[in-house]
Amino acid sequence: SSPVTQSARPLYLCSPFVEAALVKGQFKNIVMLPKYVDIMEWVAVNIFDFYTNLNEFYGVITECCTQQTCPTMSAGPSLNYTWINSDRKSVHLPAPTYIDYVMTWVQNLLDDENVFPTKSGRDFPPSFPSTVKHVYRQLLRVFAHIYHAHYPQILHLRSEPHFNSLFAHFLAFGREYELLDAKDVKGSSNSPVGIGALWERWKEMGLLEA
Amino acid sequence: TPRPQQNANYVFFDRSTDGFSEQAVPRAKAAQLKLEHYYKVAVDAAVERNTRRVEIERKLQGETMMSDERKLRHLQQHGKKESTFLRLRRTKLGVNDFKTVKVIGKGAFGEVRLVQKTDTGKIYAMKTLKKEEMLKKDQLAHVRAERDVLAESNSPWVVQLFYSFQDPVFLYLIMEFLPGGDLMTMLIKYDTFSEDVTRFYIAQCVLAIESVHNLGFIHRDIKPDNILIDKGGHIKLSDFGLSTGFHKQHDSSYYQRLLDSTSGKQAAPRAQAARNSVMVNSINLTMSSKDEIATWKANRRKLAYSTVGTPDYIAPEIFMQQGYGNECDWWSLGAIMFECLVGYPPFCSESTHDTYQKIMQWQNHLLFPDDVHLSRESEDLIKRLITSADKRLKVEQIKRHPFFYGVDWETIRSIDAPFVPHLRSITDTSYFPTDELNQAPEELPNEDGGPNKDLAFLGYTFKRFTISSQGF
Ligand SMILES: Nc1ncnc2c1ncn2[C@@H]1O[C@H](COP(=O)(O)OP(=O)(O)OP(=O)(O)O)[C@@H](O)[C@H]1O
Repeated sequence: SSPVTQSARPLYLCSPFVEAALVKGQFKNIVMLPKYVDIMEWVAVNIFDFYTNLNEFYGVITECCTQQTCPTMSAGPSLNYTWINSDRKSVHLPAPTYIDYVMTWVQNLLDDENVFPTKSGRDFPPSFPSTVKHVYRQLLRVFAHIYHAHYPQILHLRSEPHFNSLFAHFLAFGREYELLDAKDVKGSSNSPVGIGALWERWKEMGLLEA
Repeated sequence: TPRPQQNANYVFFDRSTDGFSEQAVPRAKAAQLKLEHYYKVAVDAAVERNTRRVEIERKLQGETMMSDERKLRHLQQHGKKESTFLRLRRTKLGVNDFKTVKVIGKGAFGEVRLVQKTDTGKIYAMKTLKKEEMLKKDQLAHVRAERDVLAESNSPWVVQLFYSFQDPVFLYLIMEFLPGGDLMTMLIKYDTFSEDVTRFYIAQCVLAIESVHNLGFIHRDIKPDNILIDKGGHIKLSDFGLSTGFHKQHDSSYYQRLLDSTSGKQAAPRAQAARNSVMVNSINLTMSSKDEIATWKANRRKLAYSTVGTPDYIAPEIFMQQGYGNECDWWSLGAIMFECLVGYPPFCSESTHDTYQKIMQWQNHLLFPDDVHLSRESEDLIKRLITSADKRLKVEQIKRHPFFYGVDWETIRSIDAPFVPHLRSITDTSYFPTDELNQAPEELPNEDGGPNKDLAFLGYTFKRFTISSQGF
């Protein structure tokens, strides 16, 4: 781990917040694929739940995430995510706009019977694994922004045990089903993702074993 | 602001909600509670799933004659069931996913229909409830909590609730369909039951009510309309979580008003509205009890459909403002038992108002007619149920009462029922008064009650399925 000066250390890496958790113990029991169960079905329902739960918490802090406070989709001191628009150009968007695009896009996928089938007898499309990886990467960015830009607000609202557990669960699940690459979580060396350090820290703590 | 401490990593953080909007704290609290619930359910579900798997693996291991290939197929089948169960969590059902086969019942706040789920072809009973009516009572949260707990109970005595959803006007409950109709319909058909038949139904009711009490609930509205008959002829109680508190007849202040207005000419306008006859007030005084009974019988079904409902089975303590315990359900059972043997409930009258007064003065009005012969045991049991709450028998005493001599309480749910419905198909509705219902005026949805009304029903949608639903 890199030497960080105390003042630069983000709150989510500090005690007691880095240890705060709603769920004690390992995520194994709720991450592992249940025996005999279809893996697509298992991943699908978990994505559905991650989306719902994350949406719930973003809803809590949306009043603090505005065009003014967050003119870019920041996730580290030198990292701002860009959105690929319809002309295939990457553009900077204010974080609330970016997140709204992500959440709307995911919601539409979840509602799309061709992508996330719910009717009896309908199968998942062959593209399902790659779609899900896309979804996962975008949801990670929403987590990354909230940790980077809104963690103090999470603390003011006493939600850090909950939010930490949700994110740790998300990481453990992503690792088990290879939905995240290390570079998604850590970013590049010149523009690291803030939560990359949290990931490292939680791994050291043995929190993410699945 | 963070204040660095001696301990390198330790920080103090002064928490404050200044600068947040008014909704921020409650919204955060709600998100936290939902997540806590989510993880609790996730862990429970994992444990239950494990138990089911171990169970089936153990069972298959014991099947020494079964080929490995067949065992594998069983396990795959099991996995499929579990996968379907997971899929249900993502399923957003709406009224369009169901096709109405027939209207089979009418309740105070909507209808009950026999429906078929379009994609699986499975049959359910769908109950609709008008939100607007339910909003008039502010007990929604309470009712919802009760409903949720009951929905999770796997009691064989309670109608299983599979799913619920809503649109702007209605709440929809998707329940298991009980093809045998209800006890009210049966009583209308047979008039009275023999003591043996009565013993069967009342004994089953004892266990059903006991199971409700063991879950920590009081039914409060046990009546023949709520006692449903399954395909084997055994009974189940219909979803009482919803009946609690919604209906006018449970509103003690309503009864108080009725009582207060007994002297006035305008007494009980609601009770009058529920009746057929306009002249009732003046006739009341001269009516013989025979006429009263005849009128009561003629109006029985209409009473069940009216919002006023029938108070015939409600214990007197419920009408009083002082609170009550689960003994009130045993009073109701006494009234039902009386009806099974005598042909009408003990306090039936021309008007709900009169019924109410008779119940309040039950000592003077609990009369056993001369022309019906009741055994000593049955009369005694009725008298020990229809009595003041402190003298009423408790469940263990009820089970030991001589009326139930010979009843095997352990096996009563599996013995042959006196009436087993003869069903020609899974959608056979011959045990329901569907002709009468079709004549009843269609309720037209009274369009939207404003955007705020939906708020009260936030989180209403219910998705807990038991594994027994097997591919809903
Ligand atoms: N699950 C079911 N299967 C078959 N028939 C049902 C079912 N639920 C209800 N019914 C029929 O519909 C009628 C009305 O239902 P119910 O009594 O639940 O409505 P309600 O009067 O609005 O409710 P409450 O019992 O709370 O007064 C019942 O008497 C019964 O005939």
